[in-house]
Amino acid sequence: MADITHIGRRARSKEAPRHVSGRGQYVDDLSRPRMLHACILRSPYAHARIVAVRADAAAKLPGVRAVLTPADIKALSQPFKPGRYAAGLRVPIAEYASAIEKVRYVGEPIAIVAADTRAIAEDAIELIGVDYEPLPAAASIQDAVAEGATPLYEELGSNVGWQGKVSYGDVDAAFARADRIVRESLKIHRYSSTPLEPFACLAEHSPERLTITCNSQSPDVIYEALSEALSETLSETLSGALGTAAVRVLVPDVGGGFGQKIHLIRKYAVLTALMAVKTRRPVKWIEDRSEHMMAGGHSCEQEFDVEAAVKADGEVIGLKIRDTDDVGGSVSTLTIHFTNKLNNLFNTYTVQHLTLEGRSVLTNKCPVVPNRGIGKPGMCFVWERMMDRIAQELGLDAIAVRRRNLIPASAFPYTTPNGNIYGSGEYETLLDKVLVNVDYDEVRRRQAEERRHASPAAAGPPRGTYTGIGVVIGVEPGGRNAARDMAIFPASKQMPGAGGVEGATVKIEKNGSVVFTLGSPSCGQSHETTAAQIIADVLGVSPDRVSLATTYDSALSPWGVSSSNSGNNFHLYDVGAVHGAATRLRDKLLTLAAHVLKEDKDRLAIESGVVSLGENSISFAELGKIAYTNQAQMPPGFEGGLQVTYFHSHPHADPLMLPDSQGRVRAQYTFSSAAHAAVVEVDVETGRVRVVRYVIVSDNGTLINPSVVDGQIYGSAAHGISVALGEGFVYGADGQLLTLTLLDYGKSTTLETPHIEIEHHPVPDPFTTLGQKAAGEGAAIPSPAAIASAVEDALSPLGVKVRDLPLSPERVWRLINARV
Amino acid sequence: MKRPITLTVNGEACVGDIEPRTLLVHFLREHLGLTGTHVGCVVGECGACSVLVDGQLVKSCLMLAVQADGCAVTTIEGLSTSGTLHPVQEAFVNRFGLQCGFCTPGFVMASHALLMRNPNPTEEEIRRDLSSNLCMCTGYVQIVEAVKEAAVKLEQWRTSRT
Repeated sequence: MADITHIGRRARSKEAPRHVSGRGQYVDDLSRPRMLHACILRSPYAHARIVAVRADAAAKLPGVRAVLTPADIKALSQPFKPGRYAAGLRVPIAEYASAIEKVRYVGEPIAIVAADTRAIAEDAIELIGVDYEPLPAAASIQDAVAEGATPLYEELGSNVGWQGKVSYGDVDAAFARADRIVRESLKIHRYSSTPLEPFACLAEHSPERLTITCNSQSPDVIYEALSEALSETLSETLSGALGTAAVRVLVPDVGGGFGQKIHLIRKYAVLTALMAVKTRRPVKWIEDRSEHMMAGGHSCEQEFDVEAAVKADGEVIGLKIRDTDDVGGSVSTLTIHFTNKLNNLFNTYTVQHLTLEGRSVLTNKCPVVPNRGIGKPGMCFVWERMMDRIAQELGLDAIAVRRRNLIPASAFPYTTPNGNIYGSGEYETLLDKVLVNVDYDEVRRRQAEERRHASPAAAGPPRGTYTGIGVVIGVEPGGRNAARDMAIFPASKQMPGAGGVEGATVKIEKNGSVVFTLGSPSCGQSHETTAAQIIADVLGVSPDRVSLATTYDSALSPWGVSSSNSGNNFHLYDVGAVHGAATRLRDKLLTLAAHVLKEDKDRLAIESGVVSLGENSISFAELGKIAYTNQAQMPPGFEGGLQVTYFHSHPHADPLMLPDSQGRVRAQYTFSSAAHAAVVEVDVETGRVRVVRYVIVSDNGTLINPSVVDGQIYGSAAHGISVALGEGFVYGADGQLLTLTLLDYGKSTTLETPHIEIEHHPVPDPFTTLGQKAAGEGAAIPSPAAIASAVEDALSPLGVKVRDLPLSPERVWRLINARV
Repeated sequence: MKRPITLTVNGEACVGDIEPRTLLVHFLREHLGLTGTHVGCVVGECGACSVLVDGQLVKSCLMLAVQADGCAVTTIEGLSTSGTLHPVQEAFVNRFGLQCGFCTPGFVMASHALLMRNPNPTEEEIRRDLSSNLCMCTGYVQIVEAVKEAAVKLEQWRTSRT
């Protein structure tokens, strides 16, 4: 490999020029001859039986080309197979792309119309008549599990869809020898990263294949969904015996993902595809904002009852967690928020004894989906709230309690009791640095002064602003191991895949330029820029000469189980694949050059696209010309062309790629970490929280492009802060969603979002290609806990405890005024 | 019943024969093929569809196309016609002021409008002004930096021309 010159630099973005000039290509920007526009009828009820659907008037509206009712959808498609997010489902339950006999949440799709224009399709939707028999709605965990509650799925007998437990170490013994048991109940609410581009699908049916262009983060989910749901329909409509082999999935530019575009989008891919099959015309469906808010998927409301067994010096020796997850109105993501807690179950701490009991409760709300960390923000919230509570109860400093429990730098590589292997980390240093950067002592000094001047509690209601500071720490797991769920669900018949596989193709063109293809799509994380820097260094060319050949195309992209814009997969699998393909291409290039130059291959150097030894040199363009056109100049047995496809699997995926007899398994493969410090001012008369400073010290391993990593940290931190400050979904008692727009939902703008400060403290991972670790969803994991800690600290003179999110002005005001 | 309209878009005369209910954003995207103006919420909350109408910043989902009859509209595609990026666009590239790019045309237009009114805004003024637009990816830090850089670049550009 050439001397590293581009890795580590803030190389210019390759994606940005097209986006700043309006030349991005998103699904809605695409058009096809004779293309129809689809619109979906959705349930106005949270829970109801569908008695009859009358579509005649809609079908007769001029310009309408097709209408599909639940009966049509059931006849034309097959149910999805239970996926890995539904592990633990005790009764097989058929789930179609639309509601069939019952609706279980407001916004659940019922029927679809395709028409010449979107406006006509929307008009037609209003002409579809549906008779409903409303059923009692369970809009909360309490309602759903109450005696006599109407079950969402009669087959399950109750709304508790799953219950289970994982246990590591000897928890009872730990509790028996504790000096004190610290108990707390905590809650995290429903929210979403609300990608600015909602779901979008464009389906085209030809005699040869069904092609779907959609903004999926995980095109393998779409590929499998179309194969599962439409295999019979397609085998009848496609020529020959192509059947499911003839599904092709394309993913162009994607307007943000964050997990939202992994799962529920499959329903709409199937519905749009059905329309294309039925009409034999291209059909485009674009979700609108309110549709996305009510039915695009939410993160999970989670309730925790936690008990910590502690020693008097603050050492945590055992933890028991009872976790209830409100999974909404579908069994298809029944256990995803439970299983993802295995990824950061022990956070940054040395505790050896822990049980996590889980309960998944079905409610008449939007189904839950992956979202920036999935269950991990909840798990970190549990740990970091408990650290503060333990400190309070023991009369210790909260940062000192954390230090007492941190995995020391000397312990790496460190295996957690549930089998995760942390390659590297310097957690104590992260804390040290964040305290310096936030000027911790000065904040405490100012706070003490402020409190001296505050009016005594007896002098009436509190007034003014109270300053608080919260300091937390968390890990950011990266690189998925799909076998994780086998530890919890050993009875699962379907092995979900294990370890990872992801590919990349790198090619030197005949003119000497370099193009590459990744197996995975991008949702704005600068994959092209980052990959080009790696290729440039390996091959010895300028990144200016390296470009992405095409966005994801299932027929052309070298994809595998890890080819998903999720699980923080890029840093591990795509980087490995790109590096591997480029390294092999370099070797091939040198073989050809050595033959042409009549030099020893090992003595050749590459610089700026020229292979040379002293004065004897040849350019990539000259080599390209030979490799594609002139066999006579190639070494005997040389395979023509200068193109390499390489599939990367993590070379250190073992041990514990598969669960051992104690249920230990590596949930993910790398573990970034970060300390966050938040300084807030709380207006105690209005309950408004202002984040004055937000400081992060982050270890993301070797940085390939620091500006790209900065962006990932800024964005995920801002989302976690917005989550804590008030954004979230609110339902009425009847299961009606009250937050249908971004304004009602309460997304933070430039005004509420603080200026976030970052210091990088990279500790390279010993097991990855370049020492890299993940950077994506990370800062969204500890940031809700940081804000909660800071607000509680600010209000500590008033005796306020923060147990729930969000900390919207109204809720903070209630906390202040409800205190005893 | 369709209505004829005549307007100037990015310096070119355009005519349309449209349903009166057609929104300006849909006219730009679907009738003129100017797909750089994006639809994120269609109720005026996200700003992804921001354009200039007679020099004023407008969310084009809140305006009917017939209301733009006789007006001059500038979209993201028309911000620079010289073949090089406009200083505001260049600053967004340099400062990584975007990730997925979906909100970006709206932010670039809003930043451009701000800098036309106030060539040297403070961070607080930038944040107050751009609160009209939403970005789900960046946390706004690099966007604010881009606007600051654009202000400097525009000042240099103006100085070099006088």
